[in-house]
Amino acid sequence: MLQITGLTKRFGGLAAINDVTLSFDQGTLSAVIGPNGAGKSTFFNLISGAIIPDAGKVVFQGEDITGLDRAAIVRRGIGRAFQVASFFPSMTVAENLQAAIAAHRGQWGDLNHRFPRQGVRERALEVAEMLGLENNANVLSANLSHGDQKLLDIALALALEPSMLLLDEPTAGMGPEERWRMIEKIQRLWQLQNLTLVFIEHDMDIVFGISSSIRVLCYGRVLAEGTPDEIRANPAVIEAYLGTPDAEDDA
Amino acid sequence: MGRMHIWRDIAIGCLVVAVLAAIPSLLPSKAFQDFVIRCASMALFATSLNMLVGYTGLSSFGHGMFFGLGTYSFALLMQKTGMSLLTAFLLTLLITAMTATAVGAICIRLRLIYFAFVTLAMQMLLHSVIISWVGLTGGDQGLQGGIPRRTFAGVDLSNQYNLYVFSAVMLVVGLLLMRHIVNTTFGTSLRMIRDNETRAAFLGIIVWRVKLTVFVLSAVFASVGGMVMSLFVSGAYPELINWPISGDAIFAIVMGGVGSFLGPTVGTMILLLLNDVVTRQTEYYGLALGLIILGFALGLRRGVLDFITERLGGRPAGGIS
Amino acid sequence: MIDLDALLECVTTTSCLVTQTTSGLIVGMLLFLVAAGLTLIFGVLKIVNFAHGTFYMLGAYLAYTVFAITGSYILSVLAGGLGMAFFGIVFERFLIRRVYGANVLMQLLICYATVLICDDLVKIIWGPDFYAMGMPPEFQVPPLFIAGGVVPPFYLVLISVALVIGGGLAMVLGLTKIGKIIRAAAHNPDMVSALGINTTLLYSLVFAVGGMLAGIAGGLAAPVRSLTPGMGFSILIESFIVTVIGGMGSIGGALIAAVMLGLIRSFGTIGFPLFTEGLMYIAMIIILVLKPSGLFGKEIV
Repeated sequence: MLQITGLTKRFGGLAAINDVTLSFDQGTLSAVIGPNGAGKSTFFNLISGAIIPDAGKVVFQGEDITGLDRAAIVRRGIGRAFQVASFFPSMTVAENLQAAIAAHRGQWGDLNHRFPRQGVRERALEVAEMLGLENNANVLSANLSHGDQKLLDIALALALEPSMLLLDEPTAGMGPEERWRMIEKIQRLWQLQNLTLVFIEHDMDIVFGISSSIRVLCYGRVLAEGTPDEIRANPAVIEAYLGTPDAEDDA
Repeated sequence: MGRMHIWRDIAIGCLVVAVLAAIPSLLPSKAFQDFVIRCASMALFATSLNMLVGYTGLSSFGHGMFFGLGTYSFALLMQKTGMSLLTAFLLTLLITAMTATAVGAICIRLRLIYFAFVTLAMQMLLHSVIISWVGLTGGDQGLQGGIPRRTFAGVDLSNQYNLYVFSAVMLVVGLLLMRHIVNTTFGTSLRMIRDNETRAAFLGIIVWRVKLTVFVLSAVFASVGGMVMSLFVSGAYPELINWPISGDAIFAIVMGGVGSFLGPTVGTMILLLLNDVVTRQTEYYGLALGLIILGFALGLRRGVLDFITERLGGRPAGGIS
Repeated sequence: MIDLDALLECVTTTSCLVTQTTSGLIVGMLLFLVAAGLTLIFGVLKIVNFAHGTFYMLGAYLAYTVFAITGSYILSVLAGGLGMAFFGIVFERFLIRRVYGANVLMQLLICYATVLICDDLVKIIWGPDFYAMGMPPEFQVPPLFIAGGVVPPFYLVLISVALVIGGGLAMVLGLTKIGKIIRAAAHNPDMVSALGINTTLLYSLVFAVGGMLAGIAGGLAAPVRSLTPGMGFSILIESFIVTVIGGMGSIGGALIAAVMLGLIRSFGTIGFPLFTEGLMYIAMIIILVLKPSGLFGKEIV
């Protein structure tokens, strides 16, 4: 579904992403892991068009999307959520989602009709329900709890009916229990919406617990890729990143 | 429901025009009519600026260039050509839109304070051109000699009362149109960009296109304000395109409230009232006005109308950046 | 409006070249002093001090009065600088501090009010008329002739003094502990408060330095400029152009941009007599189109 070849991005002299070649298959739930500064977020930024790669190619559903701008890539079906929840704080949850749906329907430049146009409100509530935000529909998003803000961020991406979803640390800043609630929601979404889902995560229990495949980045390069079992057994990963092998025994 | 809002706004607008039209027969005061005409001109201008500042988060310091362009373009077309008022009006809108497209294309990619200063530089550049192109614009003397052929749809605008009603109609129509714009999905895109430009782009909005569109639209409304002013002062003068005109509009929207649609209109009224009252009371206008501004700014810390809305339990007005 | 022949003739004649370059440098160096404070304040506090021109004006008036009393040019410049350092502290503590974190328009409003009030106070104290301080007696000497160009010695003194102050500022910022803190604050404000540095004091200090530079510039300029209420405005606009061209927060950028603007002004008056200001705006627009954060500004993503 997504093929990345030779992707490279330098900041100054430093290669944040260095000749990365990876692919993600349709319908998979994959994790991208790696120590801090491994280039994970840069990797997402490159795929989603936030920054332009110095070299390499990104092909999505057979189409070369390298160098397209953010909006163009989003419209081709790659949605994303952010490490720090990103939404529209002066709007309620419902308004946030209505705005996203209107944008998805190409109405963002519409100067003729009042916002929201027909059907947008109903669809917004549907999306809110997918993530359990329906009871907060009329709450000002700035006043939501941290966890709900992260959910809203994901909901905004989902409103675009993406075929692929990039989640940058969906559980960042959450307590253990809240994390698992979030992960269950994500897993359910992945199953119900037939998504190809890629997420960055630091919690190894989560990574090894739910992903069907794992990519390990280290200093901008791909250190390893494979199923959780393969990654667990990979000596390079163990050495560079996981530390002692028995740490993840029960995952 | 959406439809009802529109009719309600239109009904209020008609009522305002009707009341204003009736006032002079009860209270014949030329000063009042002058006040309303100036208010209409400045309120159109300030509200148009607020589409940029309050709704989109684009703090322009040079919006006065389009107000001034409206006065000069309109006055020049009326004085130097034989076209009708309506033609000159429409052509001025076109000229403003084209200028704003060019200026906007340069400015909108700049960030915050750079955007503010480059828009100001653009205005001052236009001001310099007007001052130095004496043959066309009369230089620092301005375009004197009045506006000929002042008939619009059969109404003679050289009559003070007619111009007064005309200005009120322009204000109401302009406000209704701008209110419609901010209530459309496009208007929502503006708020999305103000709140979180990155997120808006990652939802598929082509940010520069939205910004350029609102820049041009707001310029066009500012130019309408300029034309009303041109009719009022019978010409065009460099003060109408100099930096304080932008300052006045910024002052009006910050005083009135950036978070409320009518904030800039209320702010304009406050500004003009202060102007008229204070100049009559003291020769130290700046001292008095400065102290009043400080009182407002440090006391309320937000616009008057935003303050009232929040006190009445409304939602906190959207922030500006 | 355009007299390119005159401009060509001037740049090919050494005497005219020397004269115009010196007068351009004078304008540029004074501008640099004002703009350096402006850019410093912006760099550290992220506040655009729209009242900075007023500091310059008050500095000039203060210097004028001290000169009238003491007859000493040095004392008058010092008075302008110290007076405005004090004024900067007061202004920061009682007004600007209340709008930290508020939007830029609220800051603009506070500064605008201050400008209005100070302009009128000047009118009340010194009267609305133009003042000319006149050349201090020690500089009432015949001009030098350098390569045929007329250069009053006072101009050279002015340029050197401004350069020395600029150099001193660069040294303080580059070498001392407080300079390092200020640069760190400009680079990353959160870090400074995390390090436990007293930001209240730091902000006062930055305003004091900014005010002092503008006050000194006003005092230095007093003999060669006519003093009038409202004289702060044109220098304000010009120093904004300088800070924006140089990159907001960059003192080196301010120096280069100030000299550039000074030269544009002095040669512009010959080639484009009515359009000199227009040239400055065009320069600013072109540079920002090419480099959206100014010559030495940090790219803001």
